[in-house]
Amino acid sequence: MLYTPEAALKESAPVELALVFSHPFDNGFTMNMGKPEEFYVVAQRGEGEPKKTDLMQYLEPIEWAGLDSKAAAYVARPPRNVTRSLGDYTFVLRPAPYYEGNEDKYIQQITKTVINVGGLPGAWDEPLGLPVEIVPLDKPYANWVGGVFRAVVLSDGKPVPHAEIEVEYLNHEPQIGERRFDPAAKVTAPQESFSTLSVRADAAGQIIIGLPKAGWWAICALNLDDGLKHEGKELSLDAVLWIKATDMK
Amino acid sequence: MNKPGLVLVSVSLLALAAAAYAHNAICDCFDNGDETITCEGGFSDGGKAVGVPMRVLDTSGKVLIDGKMSDKSDFSFPKPKVDFRVEFDGGQGHIVTIDGRDIEK
Repeated sequence: MLYTPEAALKESAPVELALVFSHPFDNGFTMNMGKPEEFYVVAQRGEGEPKKTDLMQYLEPIEWAGLDSKAAAYVARPPRNVTRSLGDYTFVLRPAPYYEGNEDKYIQQITKTVINVGGLPGAWDEPLGLPVEIVPLDKPYANWVGGVFRAVVLSDGKPVPHAEIEVEYLNHEPQIGERRFDPAAKVTAPQESFSTLSVRADAAGQIIIGLPKAGWWAICALNLDDGLKHEGKELSLDAVLWIKATDMK
Repeated sequence: MNKPGLVLVSVSLLALAAAAYAHNAICDCFDNGDETITCEGGFSDGGKAVGVPMRVLDTSGKVLIDGKMSDKSDFSFPKPKVDFRVEFDGGQGHIVTIDGRDIEK
């Protein structure tokens, strides 16, 4: 998870981020994060040149409380001048590969969260050229509840037909100051299938999801690059995009 | 024979005109901390604000500085010693005014 409270800032302000590895819907089990391999932001104002700012120096290791467990995580408070200009800011986290003992393999989820300052858009619809990524077809920071969100799943810059997608609602709001998830859930799943929604991309690698509730939604495209290894084990390379839905009121 | 074509052309011209005005001017300024102010601007459709007139005025409306947005859609000026406001003049309906007291570092 690459979380910040607001996706569409009225004016520039310091942005606080939490980097936590968990299952967004139930948030029971939070997993330990190693030091990220990369953490940066790409800023773009209007049609200007994109500007990349490394954020590794702002990472602060912390312990984050899930509902059932605590785990190593990070917070970051880049100074105001990092997000001082108008435009789009795409935060990118490439975490350390995580060893999943149950499956005897590593998972690495390259994660993007796009926010905007002041309503002047940038290139939210352009790929950043990541090994795997989900590229929005709709502005990821300006979505009304009840609308749909579309995106294309890419691996090595090419669409991934029928990519396997998981969609989860961030059901326990992160409380960065308390370094925990809000213990109170916003919604209740009637059955396990509703915690993690399963979607397939179409033949062109495009996905469409509905946004029935305000808050953050995680879209995760699984296992996009076959045959990768990390320390002798299989590595699942996933792409995650966080988008926020806002109540129409 | 020509009539349907003419009608279509005028409809599409109207549509283009409507689209061209369906954006808002956006401008924001910050204090660089070295006695200078920088303003950035653009339009809500992502359009640049290159060459847009920029004015710095005192409280009586007297123009202190008259300039325009650079090719990077920004404009820097020395911070006035008196209370001031900044005007981004993107044309009719596209004027943004920023009070100097709201400009932060």
